[in-house]
Amino acid sequence: MTIEAINEQLLRAIGVGVALADLDTLELKFRNDTFIDWFGGPEASLRLGDLFPSLDLEALSGEMENGGTFTAEASFKLKRRRMTVAMDFTRAGNSTERIAVLVCQNITRIKELESMIDSYSMMVERNTHEIKREKEQVEKLLLNMMPRSAYEEYKSFGVVAPRIFESVSVLTLDFENFDKILESNDPAVIVSELNDIYTAFDRIGEQFGCERVRTNGDSYFAVSGVPDPVLNHAESVANAAVRFLRYLARRNESHPIRWEARLGLASGPVVGSVVGVQRYIYDVFGPAVERASKTRARAPGMAIVADASIRDLLDTRFTLTALPPARVRPEPQGGLYLLEEASQSEAHGAL
Amino acid sequence: MEKTLFEKYGGFSTVSKIVMDLYDTLLDDDDVGPFFDDVDMPRLIDHQTKFVASLMGGPASFTDTHIQRAHHNLDIAPVHFDRLKEIIEGTLEKFEVEREDIETVLGAFESRRKLLLGD
Repeated sequence: MTIEAINEQLLRAIGVGVALADLDTLELKFRNDTFIDWFGGPEASLRLGDLFPSLDLEALSGEMENGGTFTAEASFKLKRRRMTVAMDFTRAGNSTERIAVLVCQNITRIKELESMIDSYSMMVERNTHEIKREKEQVEKLLLNMMPRSAYEEYKSFGVVAPRIFESVSVLTLDFENFDKILESNDPAVIVSELNDIYTAFDRIGEQFGCERVRTNGDSYFAVSGVPDPVLNHAESVANAAVRFLRYLARRNESHPIRWEARLGLASGPVVGSVVGVQRYIYDVFGPAVERASKTRARAPGMAIVADASIRDLLDTRFTLTALPPARVRPEPQGGLYLLEEASQSEAHGAL
Repeated sequence: MEKTLFEKYGGFSTVSKIVMDLYDTLLDDDDVGPFFDDVDMPRLIDHQTKFVASLMGGPASFTDTHIQRAHHNLDIAPVHFDRLKEIIEGTLEKFEVEREDIETVLGAFESRRKLLLGD
């Protein structure tokens, strides 16, 4: 076998499509086996324009004229598969014959892989988006259960260390005759009413720097100064308390169920922490909470009773009238006071 | 949480190879191949990627309605469904997926038979 014969064998058998194009007629003169496999044998047209309709023949001729190279891509169907080849035309050296060598690399797999990566990355992006949305929902839920600073601590360390807050004020509230209201109304109505009322309380509280800690049936419990310190925490709860009553009084005018709240206020230290391992609840407990609950028990309907611990922290914008001591229960030291908002003129005069 | 087959067999790096192999086999198969005669390559690849990923518990999931809608105007006979099942089995075997896991995948596939064949 001669070297030429071996070369020709190699050229025919190589997995790359090779052909020679006559640049005058724009027809193919030689095609190797791979080329014929892809683009057809004797039955196929030899004209470049027929074989590759999307090929820019003018640009090709131009480039070949200047002795350069010309590249293009072509797609075709082989059985059912869409094949893509990268075409590379190079002007052959001989100046008398105007011929170009066309080399076609099979880039079908690359195209297929590109498509698959596109498809996969879109899936992943969509999933990432969904995970992000879920994460936001979880965060929102957790922020309903604990203050942001506690949540941040929980996220970083997996636990929330209990913290003592030396000076805070607590507001507790419940409703007079809640049992009777329960008996005479549809539970769904009660839940929806309480939902309404507590939502309003939350809004009012937020306005004055109080945060709800929890509700339990008819009891509502908020605090000012946890977890972020509030300078005038006593005033915050007193202001909120007064507006809670004002809101209820107005609401009662137009609603069949009359909600008569009793409020207890107290100041002092508390401990704030997440309680529970499976069910996380941020809770606040301590002397101030105890005092506020006891104080509330002495409050008549639609009234606010303040413990002595908060009395000294409030200024003349609130009037505090001593409650006569209870007959049956021992009174807390310092006594209890009925709290009301001072009328504008009184408050002004006192300043 | 239990690992999905998708994770167990190396995630996308393996699944991509399975998808490509499945794609080659499907197109060459004379029973099911004709269904893909007029389907454009990117669409078909997209479909196969999601199909394999969802069968293996990867980041794709099809609702039954989605599957039904995608196949409702195709004239799929039981023989086609069975052939595709064989092809999936062969491909998974080639990639050394454990027998038990192949059964899981085939089970997931079989459970959709009604959606593809119609009534």
